[in-house]
Amino acid sequence: MGLTVTYNEKELVAALKARNNQAFGYLYDNYSGSLYSIILQIVQNPTLADDVLQEVFVNIWRQIETYDPAKGRLFTWMLNISRNASIDLLRSKNYQDSKKNQELKDNVYQGTRSTQISTDAIGLTRFLAKLRPDYRVLIELAYFKGYTHEEIAEIEHIPLGTVKTRIRNALMQLREFLK
Amino acid sequence: MNTQEYISSGIVESYVLGLASSEEAIEFELMCSEHSEVRAARITFEMELENRLSLQRVAPPRELKSRIFSLIGMEEVKQEPQVLQSRPALIPRVGFPRFIAAASVILLLGSVMLNLYLLNQYKHSIAQYKELVESQAQLANANHSLNTKMQLFETALYQMKDPRMEIVKMPAVATSPSASSMATVYWDTSSRLVWLLVNQLPKPASGKQYQLWAIVDGKPVDAGIFDVDEGIPFVKLKTIPRAQAFAITLEKQGGSLKPNMDAMYVMGKVTG
Repeated sequence: MGLTVTYNEKELVAALKARNNQAFGYLYDNYSGSLYSIILQIVQNPTLADDVLQEVFVNIWRQIETYDPAKGRLFTWMLNISRNASIDLLRSKNYQDSKKNQELKDNVYQGTRSTQISTDAIGLTRFLAKLRPDYRVLIELAYFKGYTHEEIAEIEHIPLGTVKTRIRNALMQLREFLK
Repeated sequence: MNTQEYISSGIVESYVLGLASSEEAIEFELMCSEHSEVRAARITFEMELENRLSLQRVAPPRELKSRIFSLIGMEEVKQEPQVLQSRPALIPRVGFPRFIAAASVILLLGSVMLNLYLLNQYKHSIAQYKELVESQAQLANANHSLNTKMQLFETALYQMKDPRMEIVKMPAVATSPSASSMATVYWDTSSRLVWLLVNQLPKPASGKQYQLWAIVDGKPVDAGIFDVDEGIPFVKLKTIPRAQAFAITLEKQGGSLKPNMDAMYVMGKVTG
């Protein structure tokens, strides 16, 4: 008989704030898979995703005091930490440099990207494919690349108001697919 | 904008996914604290998202867990199933009574652990139950407003299909401020009650209201005022015993005694 302790959200947060090891183990076992999936979809590289997931859990542990249940569920908070960390990585100088090197290598040795796994078929990306192309582009830029509405308006040459409405419409559609 | 419109504007999804601007986020947090239905809508979406993503989870490499645990300076807690091993070899050496004592201690410990486990399960279920009740209340609300709407539609359809109804189509007049205007009078030939279907009329400016007129022997008689921005454009107006035509003008809020001929939108003659 395996006796595993389970927590409801309130207890889990309380236990984490009390620095309970077991609660942190529970958190990792139950949520690392979901968060890893979203990180992979953003950074598109398993090795980098490992580093981001590590940073995310260390930050969750260190910043649990700042989590405010009035603003959203624990998972939402962790999801946003994961997304932000992934996007920060995409924008970091190191990553930009390594990408350049990678591209150079790819040009020299065609087809050596064996470490790259296809993330096309997982998670939100799968639902994204069902969206209208003009909606899909906006969600990719906003959610997966982290551009602000203003930046997107500039990149896509469409008015800011249109960006806002289209993103909201796209999100509502995406939600229908998620059901 | 009312709360329902606010909820279905996409703000819930933008906020939860971290795509709302900081002003939008501040406003949303305020709305959540003031309107329980906004908060409930947020929680519903958060749970949908959490469930959906957990169906698509990808297991990170095994060694990552111990790496993270050592980084934050703690031993990884191994939750290995606790197997209660009986050791028959001990029996002859320690004697039967001591075995009984040991066994009962083990049983007691097992029972305490089982109770703790069940208590936790119970707390977990209570929390889930509360969340379910919350979303149930939300559904009941939505259902109620749908029912009310249905009843309105039913009444309208029931009146429209009544064979006693005389139908007077009112197309736009040549001087109509809006050329695509159109409305239809449904005139009950026995009760002489006038119902009006607004096929198309522009939304009036604030402080203005549409008014239906019955033309009786060349004179306009007030047949009632109505709004066009309501959910269903079929309204019951006044009783008109006799008329040769009907027309609609735009008047000041509350209606006028005499029609403003410059703002006549539609008119139709009674054929019968």
